[in-house]
Amino acid sequence: MKEMSRSRRKSSLNPSGNPISPWLHIDLALILSVVVLAITGIFMVYSATRGTDPDLYDRSFLSRQLLNVVLGFCVMVFAALVPYRRLRDWVPILFWGSSFMLLLVLTPLGVERNGTRAWFEFGQFQLQPSEICKVAFIFALASYLEQFDGHLNQKQLIYALFLSAVPLGLILLETDVGSALVFIAITMGMLLVGGAQTRHIFLMTIAGITGVITIWSTGLLQEYQRDRLTSFIDPVSSQTEAAYQQTQAQIAIGSGGLRGQGFGQGQQTRGEFVPEQHTDFIFSVVGEEFGFVGAVVVLGLFAVVIWRCWRTAKKSSDLLGALICVGVLCMIMFQMFQSVGMTLGIMPITGIPIPFVSYGGSSALTTFIAIGLVLNVHMHRYEVVR
Amino acid sequence: MIGQRADSRSRRLRLAILGAVAICLFVPLVARLWYLQIIKETAFIERVVDNTTETIIERAPRGRIIDVNGRILVNNRQSIVVTLDKEEMSTVKTSDLDQLFFDLAREISLSGKLTKVTQIEAAYESDRYGPFAEVPVVQDISKELQVYLAEFSYKWPGVGTTIITVRDYPYGSLAAHILGYVGSLSEGELSQVANAAKPYLANDEIGKAGIELFYENALRGTPGRKTVVVDRFNNILDTTEEVPARAGSDVQLTIDIDLQAMAEQYLKEGLDIARQQPTKFEEEGVIIYRAPAGAMVVMNPRNGTVLAMASFPTYDPGLFVSGIAQDEYDKLIDPGNNLPLLNRAIQGTYPPGSTFKPFTAYAALDTGLIGSRGILGVNSMYVDTGVYTIPTCEGGTCEFQNAGALPNGDVDLRLALTYSSDVYFYNLATHFDILPGFDLESPQVTARYFGFGVPSGVTLSNENAGRIPTPDTRREAYRQNPEAFLTDQWLTGDTLNTSIGQGDVLATPLQIVNAYAALVNGGTLYAPNIGLRSLNPITGETEVEFASRVTRELYLPAAYTQPILDGLAGVTTWRRPDNGQVGTAYSAFLNFPHEDWPVSGKTGTSEKQSIEELIADYGLFVAWGPNPDPEYIAVVVLEEAGFGGAVAAPVVRKYLEKIAYGIVPRHLSSEEEDEVARQQVQESERDLEAIFEIPLVTTGKKS
Repeated sequence: MKEMSRSRRKSSLNPSGNPISPWLHIDLALILSVVVLAITGIFMVYSATRGTDPDLYDRSFLSRQLLNVVLGFCVMVFAALVPYRRLRDWVPILFWGSSFMLLLVLTPLGVERNGTRAWFEFGQFQLQPSEICKVAFIFALASYLEQFDGHLNQKQLIYALFLSAVPLGLILLETDVGSALVFIAITMGMLLVGGAQTRHIFLMTIAGITGVITIWSTGLLQEYQRDRLTSFIDPVSSQTEAAYQQTQAQIAIGSGGLRGQGFGQGQQTRGEFVPEQHTDFIFSVVGEEFGFVGAVVVLGLFAVVIWRCWRTAKKSSDLLGALICVGVLCMIMFQMFQSVGMTLGIMPITGIPIPFVSYGGSSALTTFIAIGLVLNVHMHRYEVVR
Repeated sequence: MIGQRADSRSRRLRLAILGAVAICLFVPLVARLWYLQIIKETAFIERVVDNTTETIIERAPRGRIIDVNGRILVNNRQSIVVTLDKEEMSTVKTSDLDQLFFDLAREISLSGKLTKVTQIEAAYESDRYGPFAEVPVVQDISKELQVYLAEFSYKWPGVGTTIITVRDYPYGSLAAHILGYVGSLSEGELSQVANAAKPYLANDEIGKAGIELFYENALRGTPGRKTVVVDRFNNILDTTEEVPARAGSDVQLTIDIDLQAMAEQYLKEGLDIARQQPTKFEEEGVIIYRAPAGAMVVMNPRNGTVLAMASFPTYDPGLFVSGIAQDEYDKLIDPGNNLPLLNRAIQGTYPPGSTFKPFTAYAALDTGLIGSRGILGVNSMYVDTGVYTIPTCEGGTCEFQNAGALPNGDVDLRLALTYSSDVYFYNLATHFDILPGFDLESPQVTARYFGFGVPSGVTLSNENAGRIPTPDTRREAYRQNPEAFLTDQWLTGDTLNTSIGQGDVLATPLQIVNAYAALVNGGTLYAPNIGLRSLNPITGETEVEFASRVTRELYLPAAYTQPILDGLAGVTTWRRPDNGQVGTAYSAFLNFPHEDWPVSGKTGTSEKQSIEELIADYGLFVAWGPNPDPEYIAVVVLEEAGFGGAVAAPVVRKYLEKIAYGIVPRHLSSEEEDEVARQQVQESERDLEAIFEIPLVTTGKKS
């Protein structure tokens, strides 16, 4: 603890550093790429939900996604402004509060969709507590790991794992495999940078693989979930809805070719051949209408986002900021890879939205808050918090 | 400080690992995008087209077939069909499926349409349908059953109903052989019509026989085609191409349904009467007049059109409407049932017997065998003693007789035809054979000239060519089947048999009547027409007029025709005042209105050779009128029925008499019959009410 406070003092007293006003350290590249992604998402949601008859077009998806993005942007600004060290005091409330919501969603208060009980419904609006919980969890784990200055002994590691097991267990009870995987990815990434020992990482990997095999072979998963997870290997022979979904998504993307069919011109999208094409499978719309060029540009924007997160993690003056950035990086990275990968048919189907692009309020809110935290770390990295 | 630095170095290393992992994750995504969008693009574009475009084929109704006066012989009607959805049924267990079929068969049978379980199973398992098809299993169910099946659909998984258009026959089995029938396209037919102007789908119906087959191209409707863009749920978004279905053309026949009905009726009656002749006991064995089958053709000799064409036994084309059951079809092609599907008028071949004589006479006149350089003058008398012995007999049979060896006395060419003297023609035939400068094949040459031995060209399919034997064909026949002949040599006796239409001579009834038509119309040999025109089904305007087709104009000077036609006129009218000798059909035409409607004819009685048993003679008769410019010519052939003059001539006489008096009865369609019956019931009810003076409450009253 002594060393840490000294390092803090040192960086803040660094004579070569610029004046510490956070306003001078806004990461414009990150904001810009996130905004472009979100706008692309709005267009894609329009394409995916415009339906077949222009007269009967249901604008509710478009307007709600617009609202989601605007709201998300505001929350991002808010999350960026209050120095993240001060936010630390709220972490227990946020973390345990959102975990309680995860518990609550399992009660009849929650709503079940596609076999997953993960939503609260308030009239027209839905809230997915597992999304909100992601940010709280990142912050909580970062705060906990920060204490050990990059050296975790076995006991500390086990406590950290317990911390992540709370939301993870509850999410698995919702049978929301996708979100659970996101939590695992976040935990792994943060433990890596947070100072887990190499042999512990090795052991955890072994344990993880064993766990997956156990879950698979003991029949904890429903038949349809197994189908979803395996159908991507051989979609032609599989007659399931999942295989159909993935095959249709690949047809849509493949038919886009180099330049795409053009905005609003995708026949596959228009005929709504890909189920969930406005949410988890929205990348099929990108691929069909904007082609290889458009898809690579979108991936490029994600690369920029990830790069900026990584850079902020590296530049962060303290471990807390670095770990927050790593957590957000892992979250966005994994969600993007998993979601795009399943659309392209190289990953199994797990219902994960693409950050910023997919339709959905909770997801937009969470990812914007997460980016807000990264911006926060970037802006306040020279600031001394007493 | 050192720890601090080590920490930050370790953190930097760990961040670098994380960054490397992140970069690595992008590689498969971009690679996969490249594979899908650049390498496989074309394949996926095709899949999108597959997905989003659908072609909807709308079946078009077939054209109707109508008679010369516009009365509808073949119509279309709606039929409710029970279908089984193969896709849905495939999820049902086999044991449940058996039970379902059983219940379905029982339910349909209860509704009044007797149906076997095996019938449903056979239809369901037919390999004509793909795994997702809705297979039609039972046609013509009641409206009530359709409603019931729809209402209790949960009890009947995969069972549905649909409405299809099928052929309807207002006159039942009448003219069945002419009209033919339709059936599902067979594999072979499908490949034949692959490039037809009006495209076919598997399971489409196609004409299988008769007019339905011959005028398939005209009758078939042009299927409609609609190319549409659909969404995932097969909702139609856009129509990109639309070709409406067009009903097939109506085909009008030269057939007059009243004449047709009368022909079928009298043919059947003629056979019934022939069957009543007592069995004949002869030295060689027993002759039974079984009269199992026959044919009748009526033509207009002026233009070569067919007015009626009857073949007995006949069949009900309605059997084919629901897809004929195999056992029913087997009955129709069973020789034991006398092959009801066979159109004997064009497919049955018979020795023409004495009906062949006028053509032999023509040969004699044309070659000069009768004439100044020949053996007889036209009016020279020849003594017919009833028996003829070939003067230069080298083997085989040498002695030939008239029927019953009855002498006809002095006959010239006219009387030889009137009395049907075989001996007179044996004499001619012998001299064709033996007299220098004459050709023994002259009768055959003439026969082919008049259209024998080749298909007449009637506008019906599967016509038989008949057979005109020659020394060459004899050699060939012997080579193929030495058992059937004594020698491969053509003997004088063969020429004799040929000259009177016996031996190996075979002709279809249509060939016979068509040859006579040329003889009596001044020498025009037509290819008989049975189709008159095709009509637009909506406007009724003529689309194609099927013009008369002349096979050839015959050389027919009065010097040839006069003696022949005179002799044939005598067949029905001649009675020699002194000894009462009469033409062969004199008694059949007794009291016929000869003055108003002069009629001529020729009888024929031909022997059918059989090794196993004695077979009664085939009776033939051809007649025409009113002379001298006949409008009607008719032929009747009765199998195993006896003398032509005795059994066949009365049939034609009755027939022509109705025409001569203008009292051809109007034949009613089944609907018209129902209407008449209803009126009769009403009338009798009125009578009863009048008697009892109380109103009777009946269904007839209500309507």
